[in-house]
Amino acid sequence: MRRSDLGEFEEIVLLTVAVLTPNAYSVVIAEELEAQTGHTVTTGAVHAALQRLEDKGLVNSQMGEATAERGGRRKRLFTVTVAGSRVLHEVQAVRDRLWQRILPNALPKIDLA
Amino acid sequence: MIIGKKNHPPYWLDWLLERFCAPHLWEEVQGDLHERYQLRLKQKGINKAYWFYFTDVVSYLRPAFYKRKHATQLLYTDMFQHNLLLAYRTFKRFKGSFFINLIGLSLGIACTLLIYLWISNELHIDTFHEKDHRLFQIMENRKTARGIETGASGLFAEILVRDMPQVEYGVTVTPPNFFPKFTLRTENQNVKAVGKYVGKDFLSVFSYDLVQGQQDKVLIQPDAIVLSESTALRLFNTTNNLIGKTIEWQVVNLKKPCVITGIIKDVPSGSSEQFDFLLPFEAFQNIMGMGKEITWNTNSPFHNYVVVKENTNLDQFQHTLDHLLKTRNSTAKDISLFLKLYSKNYLYGTYENGVQAGGRIVYVQLFSLIALFILLIAGINFMNLATARASRRIKEIGIKKAIGASRFILILQYLSESLLMAFCSLLLALLMVVLLLPQFNQLTGKQIHLDWDLQMILSFAGITFFTGLIAGSYPAFYLSGFKPTTILKGIVPTSWSEIWTRTGLVVFQFTLSVVFIVSVIVIYKQIEFVQHNNLGYDKDHIIYFETEGKIANQSEVFLTRLKNIPGVLNASSLSGYIINSYQSSGGNTTELVWNGENIRYNSLGINYDLIETLGITIKEGRSFSNAFPSDSAKIIVNETFVKRLGLINPVGQIVDGREILGVTKDFHFQSPHEKIPPTIFRLERQYNSTIVANIQAGKEKAVLEQLAIFYKNYNPGFVFDYRFLNQDYQTLYVAEQRVAILSRYFAGLAIIISCLGLFGLATFTAERRRKEIGIRKVLGSSEWGIIYLLSREFTRIVLLSITLALPVSYVIASDWLKGFAYRISLHPWYFITAGLVALGTAWVTVGIQAVKAAHINPSQCLKDE
Repeated sequence: MRRSDLGEFEEIVLLTVAVLTPNAYSVVIAEELEAQTGHTVTTGAVHAALQRLEDKGLVNSQMGEATAERGGRRKRLFTVTVAGSRVLHEVQAVRDRLWQRILPNALPKIDLA
Repeated sequence: MIIGKKNHPPYWLDWLLERFCAPHLWEEVQGDLHERYQLRLKQKGINKAYWFYFTDVVSYLRPAFYKRKHATQLLYTDMFQHNLLLAYRTFKRFKGSFFINLIGLSLGIACTLLIYLWISNELHIDTFHEKDHRLFQIMENRKTARGIETGASGLFAEILVRDMPQVEYGVTVTPPNFFPKFTLRTENQNVKAVGKYVGKDFLSVFSYDLVQGQQDKVLIQPDAIVLSESTALRLFNTTNNLIGKTIEWQVVNLKKPCVITGIIKDVPSGSSEQFDFLLPFEAFQNIMGMGKEITWNTNSPFHNYVVVKENTNLDQFQHTLDHLLKTRNSTAKDISLFLKLYSKNYLYGTYENGVQAGGRIVYVQLFSLIALFILLIAGINFMNLATARASRRIKEIGIKKAIGASRFILILQYLSESLLMAFCSLLLALLMVVLLLPQFNQLTGKQIHLDWDLQMILSFAGITFFTGLIAGSYPAFYLSGFKPTTILKGIVPTSWSEIWTRTGLVVFQFTLSVVFIVSVIVIYKQIEFVQHNNLGYDKDHIIYFETEGKIANQSEVFLTRLKNIPGVLNASSLSGYIINSYQSSGGNTTELVWNGENIRYNSLGINYDLIETLGITIKEGRSFSNAFPSDSAKIIVNETFVKRLGLINPVGQIVDGREILGVTKDFHFQSPHEKIPPTIFRLERQYNSTIVANIQAGKEKAVLEQLAIFYKNYNPGFVFDYRFLNQDYQTLYVAEQRVAILSRYFAGLAIIISCLGLFGLATFTAERRRKEIGIRKVLGSSEWGIIYLLSREFTRIVLLSITLALPVSYVIASDWLKGFAYRISLHPWYFITAGLVALGTAWVTVGIQAVKAAHINPSQCLKDE
């Protein structure tokens, strides 16, 4: 089913939702991604990705509480669904299996420090 | 933190976002953006925050956030309500056109609904049998010198069950009207009833519900009888505990006791054949001495029905059947057998040269066409009034288009208006149908009820929807096509094509009306011709009844006493019937060879005085007479017989070993569709089955009362069941009479609806030309001048319709008349009358409006503006 195919950005947003639950919404996810990657991440891009994930049934959402910074507007909080969890696990499993099969000298050495 | 004006993100970006982003997302999107702005303000300062806010807003400009929620759905319900409201207002404002449309459409729809009910009833005749799709009649095509003749085959169906594995059941039955009415008798009750002899599996083949008795046993014993419930009630006043009771049946001078073995429900009205009781075919075989021996002789009058097993290959089956016949019966080489679905027999029952052609289905098609035409005529009224009044609504259309209504939405609006109109008319039409149904049933000889089942409701809704759609389509496309720039300037676009279309539609309406009127006149004249045509005998005062009981044994004594009753002018007897609706003409068909040619003729066995009683004129020679005993070996022939044989001085000549005693003028004993056959009368006094009496005109009632008393005394135990010859003659063309009456109503309807439309158009024209009329009057035009001015246009239209209609109706009428052997010639007056009627009604309709308009006071209509 192509609808459940996961883009790279979607995958990382989904993962961040899992990290930030129960307080995952566009602003904190975007901030977190910016902090992690060092690139600018716009709210709109994150919001759009969340909408797509919700359409695919990988996340759920409900309205949360309002704050003063938001001008008294409520935020939309996201949580990972069972289907989302399965997808995340599958993706991780695929990557793990592939990592394990890389021969010791196959990758050029880089300094990770 | 304090949210001040300074800390607020740029307003113009918010404004941009609000324009773009779907409203249901505003809260979360703006909340997120503002929260992040504050965050960045704290971390990175105002300039960076400003810049990042801009990129954030831009990042929201993507389709996913633009899509509005539920927007389309809301729009449609709103539009629908709006359309209904506008339609209601239009109806209220233009009450005249509303009522013209309402009456026209509801008349059209009511007429169509009645025709629909009739057609669906016709289509369902004989389909109620459970094994309907497997129930076939065995038919044969017989090659003769005059082409292929198609008829029921006399093959015995019972042997097929034994010899062919594909056959599940087979029955041989006597055809409808094979016998006169039977008399059923208990100790204290005599009842006349219609009966037939049927094979033992009859009730397994046909689904006539058996309420008492066992289905496979009731017709086994030769002395069995199965009664219908109503017959049982007439005989015993009950339907309980009748099994095993003995009654007696009698027909002509045959009678036998029988035992009631079963009771069936009355034959439903959806069956083409109606009967009151059943007797086993074996009893018939015993009586006729036919024996149990199965013959492959096809030459018998009986009907044979088979039920084939599921999934039988019919072509193969027919082939095998035909092959079987030819191996068993070497004389049958000119005969080929085929199977006809029993339920198809009713509508597709006539054959021409071995090919199915015509039948009742022709009437079904004809009436469907008429229904369609009447709906069209009614729909045209709506179209014409809607387009003619376009100028009234032109501003509405202009404004709607200017503020962005698409053409589609306008089309939808006008269609919903016409559909609303059609459904309003449906209500009125249903009322008419409910009120008219009893008369309609009487007219068509049917028992149609309104069942309100799903199929009927869907069909009614479908018919109405279709009407609304055809009535609304042209105005919808026409009105929605205007250019807002021109119509808002107040210019009403009147294109030639529009005027031509409107004129064309009116011409179409009136052409159909004139065709209908001509048909009515021609059908009426033909039926009058058939009815009052000199038949060659006196049909109006002749009664006849069957010889039964004592009369059958002593017919001479009975006749003598009958003649003595005052008011009975003459009486005689014959074998068989004078007019027989089953065989279509009286007597037996026989053949003789004359100059090497086979000639078929009718032969009637009659008593002394029959020719005189019927009032048939002797042209040459003389009639049978008591005074000459040698007359019994001689014959009397009709003119056609003489012509067919080419005899000169026929009296005294010997034909087929018998001397011709006299020649009668031709007389019609058969349906007006058929030619008079060559006929001979022979003297045959022993086996006469029908008594005929001529009763004095004007005294029928008194004489019949006396006859009934005389009959009861002379022949106790029998019912005096007489008929007038006239009635029998009427049944020969009952279909034509129905068409005649129905066509009169249809023509009336067509002209009423057409005139309604014309009336509407005339009213509108008079209204539009008010000012012109006012100015003309001021300048000295007379009222007649105005009337002439207004009716000129319509007269031209109607004259054009008449010119178009006359050749069409001539073709239709002469085609219909071709079906009659004796017919009227098409007189020009029929067409002139039809034209005058159409023109006259149109003039009256338009004239009323024209006179009203001509009376207008110029000061009234010229004062404003």
